[in-house]
Amino acid sequence: MKEWQSWPRFRYEAELDLRFPEEVASMPGGRALFACIQCGTCSGTCPLGTYMDYSPRKIIAMTRAGFKDEVLHSFTIWLCASCYACAVECPRKIKITDFMAELKQRAIQEGVYPKRFPVAVLAREFFDTVRKRGRSTESRLVLRLYAKTNPLKIFNQALLGLKLLRTGRFSLRAESVKNRQQIDQLLRAVDAVKATTFVDRLAREVHRGEVARV
Amino acid sequence: MPETNGAPKIGVYVCHCGVNIAAKVNIPEVVEFARTLPFVTVARDYKFMCSDPGQELIQQDLREGRVNRVVVASCSPLMHEATFRRATAEGGQNPFFFHMANIREHVSWVTADEHKATEKAKALIAAAVRRVAFHEPLEKKRVPVHPHVLIVGGGIAGIEAALKIAEAGKKVYLVEREPTIGGHMAQFDKCFPTLDCAACILTPKMTQVRAHPNIKLLTYSEVESVEPYDLRNFKVTIRRKARYVNEDVCTGCGLCADVCPVTVPSEFDEGLGTRKAIYRPFPQAVPNVFTISRRGTPPCQAACSIHQNAQGYITLIAHGKFKEALDVILRDNPLPSICGRICTHPCTVNCTRGTVDEPLNIPGLKRFITDLFPDYKLPTPTKERPEKIAIVGSGPAGLMCAYELRQRGYKPVIFEAQPVAGGMLSVGIPSFRLPRDVITKEINRLKEIGIEIKTNTPVGKAITLEQLRQQYAAVFIAIGAHVERKLKVPGEDLPGVFGGIEFLRRVNLEGPFNLGERVLVIGGGNSAVDAARTALRCGAKEVTMVYRRTRAEMPADPKEIEAAEEEGVKMLFLAAPKTILGNKETGVTALECLKMKLGAPDASGRPAPEPIPGSEFVLSCDAIIVTIGQVPDIASLGERLGLETTTWGTFKVDDVTLETNVPGVFAGGDCVTGPDVVVNAMYAGKKAAISIDRYLNKLDMRAGREREGPYRTEYTIDTSGTPLQKQIPMPAIELARRRTFEEVHTGYTKELAIAEAKRCLDCGICCDCRLCATVCEAKAINYEMKDEIQEIVVGSIILATGFKLFDARRIPRYGYGKYPNVYTALEVERMTNSAGPTGGEIRLRDGRKPKAVGIIHCVGSRDRNYNSYCSRVCCLYSLKLAHLIKERTGAEVYNFYIDMRVPGKAYEEFYDRMLEEGIHFIRGRVAEVTDHAMTPDEEGKLVIRAEDTLIGVIRRIPVDMVVLAVGLEPQADADEVRRKFYISCGSGGFFLERHPKLAPVQTFADGIFIAGACQGPKDIQDTVAQAGAAAAEVLSLIDRGFVELEPNTAFIQEELCSGCKTCIPLCPFSAISFNSDKGVAAINEALCKGCGTCVAACPSGAAQQHLFTDEQIYQEIEGVLSYV
Amino acid sequence: MKYLYYPGCSLKGTSRGYEESVLAAFEALGVAVDELEDWNCCGATAYMAVDEMKAFALAARNLALAELQDGSEHPTLIAPCSGCYLVLSKTQHYLQEYSEVSRMIDGALQAARLRYARTVHVRHPLDILINEIGVQEIARKVRQPLQGLKVASYYGCQIVRPYAAFDDQVNPKTMDNLMQALGAETVDWPLKTRCCGGSLMGTLPEVGVPLSYILLKEALKRGADVVATACPLCQFNLECYQDKMSHQFKERIEIPVVYFTQLLGLALGVSERRLGMHRLLVPMPTVRGGTRPHA
Repeated sequence: MKEWQSWPRFRYEAELDLRFPEEVASMPGGRALFACIQCGTCSGTCPLGTYMDYSPRKIIAMTRAGFKDEVLHSFTIWLCASCYACAVECPRKIKITDFMAELKQRAIQEGVYPKRFPVAVLAREFFDTVRKRGRSTESRLVLRLYAKTNPLKIFNQALLGLKLLRTGRFSLRAESVKNRQQIDQLLRAVDAVKATTFVDRLAREVHRGEVARV
Repeated sequence: MPETNGAPKIGVYVCHCGVNIAAKVNIPEVVEFARTLPFVTVARDYKFMCSDPGQELIQQDLREGRVNRVVVASCSPLMHEATFRRATAEGGQNPFFFHMANIREHVSWVTADEHKATEKAKALIAAAVRRVAFHEPLEKKRVPVHPHVLIVGGGIAGIEAALKIAEAGKKVYLVEREPTIGGHMAQFDKCFPTLDCAACILTPKMTQVRAHPNIKLLTYSEVESVEPYDLRNFKVTIRRKARYVNEDVCTGCGLCADVCPVTVPSEFDEGLGTRKAIYRPFPQAVPNVFTISRRGTPPCQAACSIHQNAQGYITLIAHGKFKEALDVILRDNPLPSICGRICTHPCTVNCTRGTVDEPLNIPGLKRFITDLFPDYKLPTPTKERPEKIAIVGSGPAGLMCAYELRQRGYKPVIFEAQPVAGGMLSVGIPSFRLPRDVITKEINRLKEIGIEIKTNTPVGKAITLEQLRQQYAAVFIAIGAHVERKLKVPGEDLPGVFGGIEFLRRVNLEGPFNLGERVLVIGGGNSAVDAARTALRCGAKEVTMVYRRTRAEMPADPKEIEAAEEEGVKMLFLAAPKTILGNKETGVTALECLKMKLGAPDASGRPAPEPIPGSEFVLSCDAIIVTIGQVPDIASLGERLGLETTTWGTFKVDDVTLETNVPGVFAGGDCVTGPDVVVNAMYAGKKAAISIDRYLNKLDMRAGREREGPYRTEYTIDTSGTPLQKQIPMPAIELARRRTFEEVHTGYTKELAIAEAKRCLDCGICCDCRLCATVCEAKAINYEMKDEIQEIVVGSIILATGFKLFDARRIPRYGYGKYPNVYTALEVERMTNSAGPTGGEIRLRDGRKPKAVGIIHCVGSRDRNYNSYCSRVCCLYSLKLAHLIKERTGAEVYNFYIDMRVPGKAYEEFYDRMLEEGIHFIRGRVAEVTDHAMTPDEEGKLVIRAEDTLIGVIRRIPVDMVVLAVGLEPQADADEVRRKFYISCGSGGFFLERHPKLAPVQTFADGIFIAGACQGPKDIQDTVAQAGAAAAEVLSLIDRGFVELEPNTAFIQEELCSGCKTCIPLCPFSAISFNSDKGVAAINEALCKGCGTCVAACPSGAAQQHLFTDEQIYQEIEGVLSYV
Repeated sequence: MKYLYYPGCSLKGTSRGYEESVLAAFEALGVAVDELEDWNCCGATAYMAVDEMKAFALAARNLALAELQDGSEHPTLIAPCSGCYLVLSKTQHYLQEYSEVSRMIDGALQAARLRYARTVHVRHPLDILINEIGVQEIARKVRQPLQGLKVASYYGCQIVRPYAAFDDQVNPKTMDNLMQALGAETVDWPLKTRCCGGSLMGTLPEVGVPLSYILLKEALKRGADVVATACPLCQFNLECYQDKMSHQFKERIEIPVVYFTQLLGLALGVSERRLGMHRLLVPMPTVRGGTRPHA
């Protein structure tokens, strides 16, 4: 229960970022955002809807209204498991899942998600491993994740870990592609060619994101 | 340049159209520019040129001689060309000294940049000015409008329009494709917002329509085609579908439906109730007459060589009408008790039930009836004829032929070589499958109706064919195929080796005899199986069938093979005899065989067996029965009148007529086809009888015989949801007793027969049992009725074809068709109707009253995955249903909506009332209807999951019943219809009006109007209003009596015409003829529709078109280019 | 017909059993598959969260490699992991739909001396089995019918949504049809495509565990003996956290969760070991009719 004083009385237009909706809508197929009729099909369909602080429908409404901070700070975008149930049901054909991914990217760029927040950390770890080796090794990924978020977890997961080891499902040998150089060229090129298109901005921000460790 | 009204003085009038044009086009600049153009004497602008003062400007300039030709630069000609032509005329000039430049739709509305817009406007005006200078005075042609009116669609819109027009004393044809008028409204109970009873409003109007002298009501009819009758009127072809009930005679008493045994889901009750095959959609139907639904000949009947009406007697058995069933059977089959036992029943092979679980045991059911009435009689001939006809052979072919001829009054005489009649039936088929007394009885019945059978009278010895031909009017040869095929292996002549038929004949005629312990039967056909089973009954300990292919290729009936194996017959596949071992003294002792393997398919389509070299093996045995087929014993006939035969030793006949090369002599059955099944022999007999009858009446023997014999039906039947119920096995004597010649199967009991018959899927819907005719006092029923084509001429047409409902199955998330208690709104509508399937009671499938009901709005509407438009009526009918459900059941009712859309008089008030009644309104589109329970109180309920977007939580609401407020869609055939009537469809596929505001019920086709939901979703109020509007349009046309046509007809400049005649065949309206005196083409202006085809086609440019002369068009183009 | 096979990272790790059973089953059906050489991470969903464009680039490399290796007019790339299947399909889709993406990816590939001509057809094993090989054919090859085994087919989310065209997105049937062809009985349950929690199981177990629990509880309630999955993550979540569920919700949750290809293999008479059955934490019960051929 919040302190009553902390309840916002008004939301002043000046507090909102009216560029935000346009920015978000610049993702591929993003204009559909403005077609939303707030029917709530997405929220009702979402298997995680009940865990979200703002329902997907609200996230769309808030995005359109320019509530940038609330949107990027919300748990909702991190709870999306990309099951696409909403996207196929949406009567306005809005790619809600991709839209959530877009918001995740932005949150990471702005570094506004809670520190040690596992979902983002996992994404980050994944990103780095793959960038280096071209493949990820689940075992190592998980260990790194726990190390970075909540080392204690490693212990209460130890039993499962052992079981997996026993059944040969948990090998620590790092997977990697042969042609690492090619992966590197490829990913650098993506950064490089993002000259004029909408991803331009995004590219630089991601780059910053990479430098600014979580 | 034509000087028809002196040197051109052109006035240019630029319209601001408020800001529509002025905001983009720099008007003063354009006007200035216009002044500089050649011949332009006046250039003005005005806010609204179409207004009175605007027109007055033009007329003044004309009257005062400043101007003699007019260019108005404003909107599209579609909007105001007529207006300004009139203004020009009232100004004292021919209205065609006018041209319009469209600087709104073509410029200001579609050009972003103001400068560009202004420039484009200038260019268009320049073009118009140059063009108008070349305009000539033209006269509009007047064409009379035919006073008759066609209205398509008998829903409330069609009814309303029809009455209005008829009241005004005009003749109306009202065409409706269903058996009754009334449309969807007839299905409703109450109408929003006043909750008045739909029937009370509608049914009186329906009866008025029926009674009105000026309305010709054509129900159960469809418009086939609409062609131009003349320049303005239509020739309409209407198909009147066969009702099989005479509409003018039927009194609607309903006795027919009472006796009709076929029950199907009622379309009118949305499948919640049932109706009979002969039906009337609802008691107040107009016209109040019955209709028979016939899908066509059922697959079973079509597959039967003699087209025995199986569905007919099966349906009757299912209803315990056994005597009637017998009558149906005897309609096409004089040997039912035989067929019921041994027919190979192609009917069951094609039985639709087979695609669900197992086909019906059709022959079994037929046998049941014949067992039930062992002493039934065959129908006696109704007429007598002197001619006697000779039939050689008393097998099924001969008997059938005799019967068919006798029914036609002839006197058939059958000659049989054997001591007993029946041919293969008596000598070839063992009595444990077909008891002798059954055959005897059938044959006696035939004798009773006057068929003479001479047994022990072999033709060729006792009497010659030649004598027959002389003494009888015609001859039918049906001697069957009784000569055994030989194995052609060494030892075949040893004692103990029998031919299968020889063996069976001996047992049948002389009784069983000892074969020894081990018997081998060579062959895989039905006779082989019979031989094997007979051998067992002759006391053999071990009987083995040796077949060179595998079970899959065995020609014998699988059921028979099964039975044989049950009785202990062994099967040896992929083995072929090589040598028969033994000697004169011991007789046969063993058989040496070769192993075979299957190779490439042979002529018969079955894989050809190939011997495996060195695979010989030996089977010891006491007797061998060789049953590998038979050939006709043609030789036995002695001299044969030079009848042609084939290389297979069968008779050569015409396959349509069965006539041999000798006129008047026919042949059929096994002696033509080689060994075949009984029913095909009977088919041959029937075929021959028809030919002989025609032959003797000097009629064409070939005409119209396509549908004789087996064929496959075209239509398919939706068997989804049919509960599984396998074939009920026919009782048989226990295995132990199957060593005697006692009949194996004992036949169905009444109970079993009824149960088995109930499995029939009524493929043909009407089963053609013809009970209805027996009870119809008015004698209205006519099974032979055919579709009729009717042609009418009308001057105007109103399309009121209505809508169809969105198919809720397309949204699986809502569980329609999966969960029984998910209904569409119309289904519930029927439930609420006191005349409906539940008598007005709203209940679940299991009869319980619902305690909680969820109504889901916008199903298939406002959804880009289906229909993006709003269906307009759902919110209100949902409110209505919510009210009725609450009122009748006291249930909690939840409405799940996106936006409540209740515009319209008294609608908001209706919504208020519902709110006050305590109906729940949840703003949120339902995500899912599921039976996945997460809490105890959700168990056994349907759970509706949706976000309550106003409260901002996701809710799970357990209900007993879900109602889907399905949207409205264009009729499935809307596109086909619009082509037929030369109109177009707009977004969403509904018929497109000429202009949403200025011409809402007109179409782009002159004289064709639209009304009601076919133009777009709308409620009854709006529909009726539109119907009135359409009627008014039609009446004003008819009362004016004529229309003026654009004088844009084509003409020939004779001096240029080379007489090449290219244009003549091209003209779609055949308006062009050839003037041979002048050697030039001539156009009949009365027929020309101004399509311009001839103008485009004319190589010498002689063909021209008023309003579109080459010069005018060139000048226009010049105008544009000169400015660019 | 020859197919290229894209394992993806999981099938080399926690879901080796999936790889083993896919390969063994296809072999038993006489269908040849080649592993894509030097394949890299598909660009999986988590990656999308950081840089979608790089995800596309990575996926595109795999597609380009597929063209190089196969050389036929339309190479078919089989992706059993639904995550990989989705990303690869999504990349195909975006290269089609959005020119800006298309341009960027072509640029990146060029820099890596690669070229992608858009000829690859990405397909899921289920799609191949049902639409290429066909249930009749498979039924014909069944050696140990799964008599009396009640299977809850669990499709998960990403093989049917949003790009898959081979089955109904809301009420898929392919796996059920396959299971019936193998002689098994399928339970009709409403959660076939409900999310298992995906990567949240690892990151936010307090959310992930309940999601998987709901699925298993319903499967058990509807009388399933076993849950068949088509996704590494689904299998992991549903199988490995059953103890946690039992503990958290105070009721015994125990049901084997296998890859549909393992059941296929069993029915085709492949030994359990070759199908990686020994890697299951909750072992398959022996069922009536003796479903388990002894290796």
